[in-house]
Amino acid sequence: MLDPKDLRRSSHALDRRRLLKGLGATALGGSLAGVAHAETVHHSVADAPVANAASQLDHVSYLGVHQAGIVNARPANGMVASFDVLAKDTGELETLFRTLTARIAFLTVGGPVPVLDAKLPPPDSGLLGPTVRPDNLTITVSVGASLFDGRPWLAPLKPKHLTRMTRFPNDALDAELCHGDLTVQICANTQDTTIHALRDIIKASSRQMILKWKQEGNVPVITPGPGGRVESARNFLGFRDGTANPNSSDSTEMDRVVWVGPEDGEPAWAMGGSYQVVRIIRNFVERWDRTPFGEQERIIGRTKMSGAPLDRRDGHEFDLPNFTADPEGKATPLDAHIRLANARDEASKAHTILRRPFNYSNGVTRSGQLDQGLLFICYQANLERGFITVQRKLNGEPLEEYIKPVGGGFFYTLPGIRDAADYLGSSLIAAARGV
Amino acid sequence: MRISGLVGASALALIVSSGAFAQQASLDLVEPIAEYKIYVTEKVAKLVEDTTAFTAAVKAGEVDKAKALFAPTRVSYEAIEPIAELFSDLDVSIDSRADDYEKAEADPEFPGFHRIEYGLWEKNSTDGLAPVADKLLVDVKALEGRIASLTFPPEKVVGGAAVLMEEVAATKISGEEDRYSHTDLWDFRGNFDGARKIVELVRPLIAAKEADFLKTVDANFDTVDKTLSKYKDGDGYVTYDKLTEDDRKVLAASVNTLAEDLSTLRGKLGLD
Repeated sequence: MLDPKDLRRSSHALDRRRLLKGLGATALGGSLAGVAHAETVHHSVADAPVANAASQLDHVSYLGVHQAGIVNARPANGMVASFDVLAKDTGELETLFRTLTARIAFLTVGGPVPVLDAKLPPPDSGLLGPTVRPDNLTITVSVGASLFDGRPWLAPLKPKHLTRMTRFPNDALDAELCHGDLTVQICANTQDTTIHALRDIIKASSRQMILKWKQEGNVPVITPGPGGRVESARNFLGFRDGTANPNSSDSTEMDRVVWVGPEDGEPAWAMGGSYQVVRIIRNFVERWDRTPFGEQERIIGRTKMSGAPLDRRDGHEFDLPNFTADPEGKATPLDAHIRLANARDEASKAHTILRRPFNYSNGVTRSGQLDQGLLFICYQANLERGFITVQRKLNGEPLEEYIKPVGGGFFYTLPGIRDAADYLGSSLIAAARGV
Repeated sequence: MRISGLVGASALALIVSSGAFAQQASLDLVEPIAEYKIYVTEKVAKLVEDTTAFTAAVKAGEVDKAKALFAPTRVSYEAIEPIAELFSDLDVSIDSRADDYEKAEADPEFPGFHRIEYGLWEKNSTDGLAPVADKLLVDVKALEGRIASLTFPPEKVVGGAAVLMEEVAATKISGEEDRYSHTDLWDFRGNFDGARKIVELVRPLIAAKEADFLKTVDANFDTVDKTLSKYKDGDGYVTYDKLTEDDRKVLAASVNTLAEDLSTLRGKLGLD
């Protein structure tokens, strides 16, 4: 392990809070909260990574009542890899979860890589050199409905909203990019670190699971404006994305929006978990770039340059649109993306989701167009009330002409690894054993 | 399908240098390697015999007979691929795939087993295949000749067990090898048998020290045997599309795990 004093705590304050919560510290002292706040440079998942601020020693603790990689700010690189799991019984599934936990514990903390006899293949790919540094790495593990279905010893424990992702009207799902028994979301400052982690996990778990699909993406880094405020990153349509995300450093809000709790009626083992939705959404960027500027803004519902709402064009990205004052949609069309997704009224608060998207750029299609888009990832305590409801509101939106969801799936993010003696999914395994 | 290989002269250089190395590495390997040479020699003799019948059927325009002989003929080649690939010129002309050529199936350069497979299954015809068949038989006989005069490099023999699994993992589990005939399970049989043969030959050398390793490897080979046996049909196997998704996953994981484990076999025997 690296010397902990060398590690630089991630700019996000919440992991300390989570750790305290995990250790049973329920009340946060005002002074501690103040300290945490002072350390916080930016605090929303939607905020772009700050240019030139990342360090290889950035460290997000993998321990806590919730998994890391959900409420901490996105680093510049992200990836989702989906696997088929072979486990035939509880013992084999436990072995897989323990294997993943051990790799997460090493990779997110870092340290020298093991060296063996030169006549043997090296245990580490060596991509990061002789010493692995944490580089803000988080590895977040979620499970799909297919892990439960067809395994009678696990099926009764399936979270109640977890289903195989269903097709929405504008989808053109490619079977080779969909679903899976288990996903690993890997985020880090650099792509080398995410790829190193993926290769490590594949090598360590070859007995237990096989890779099904993966999609990498990134978040553009941004130089903070005056006052240190970091604006939301832009997607490949050129618009700021994630402005209306809930404040992920507000743990009360996260308990309401993201984390499954006793009020959600889920199986007891699932407390502290969350529903993860992954959507690989291709953007038809050539066509978008040939669309009039004003029409682009009306389709999205924001000004393109600043991100300000259309009813306050000279305002700021974070100014709230007043849809009530615009019932006919003269400023912001009624079918604009942001208006359909979030009406900004009391009722729509129930449907809040925490988005954690990455832009992707893959190559060239058979038609000679760019294969670019959004690796959309979101988390919510209730899948039906969250993503599914929001997507139903978006069905038929004008933006559909320019986007095509081609892959992804619905998953359940396991509760956190509480302490160094715990392992990922331990509550599920205990429940499967009837303990 | 080859992953790597050496053409004629450079292959010979490798054999000479590694021949010297073998004596330093382990005299214990002399016997297993001699036995392996006998195994390969028998397989390649069977390959020549079967290819003679197969190409005769193609030249006689007997489509059904040629189709029936295609998969069983290839099994012998698949079992000895780690050695056959040492001669990359022959491997290309015997076993390359349409993807290796710019114009794919339409490319006049596309030779060998898969060119004939394409004609038999996609065109249901032997038209234009006579020269391809003649060349295939010449190549297979040349392979037999070269193997006869080859000093087997120990690290290639021992490493061959892993190479066979890497091939299946990288380019066969998808069903792309025999994409016209879908006789991939026959090829798998050859690849697994070839890998297991190598493990069996060196087993006495590591049995005491590596009991756990051998137990894991045996268990994975047994899983493969059990899975493949579900798809037996007469002397061979049903087409690859009959493989269930669950069984494909089981095979894929076994292959990946065997590839991981067998990649350490050279090192365990002290070979570089």
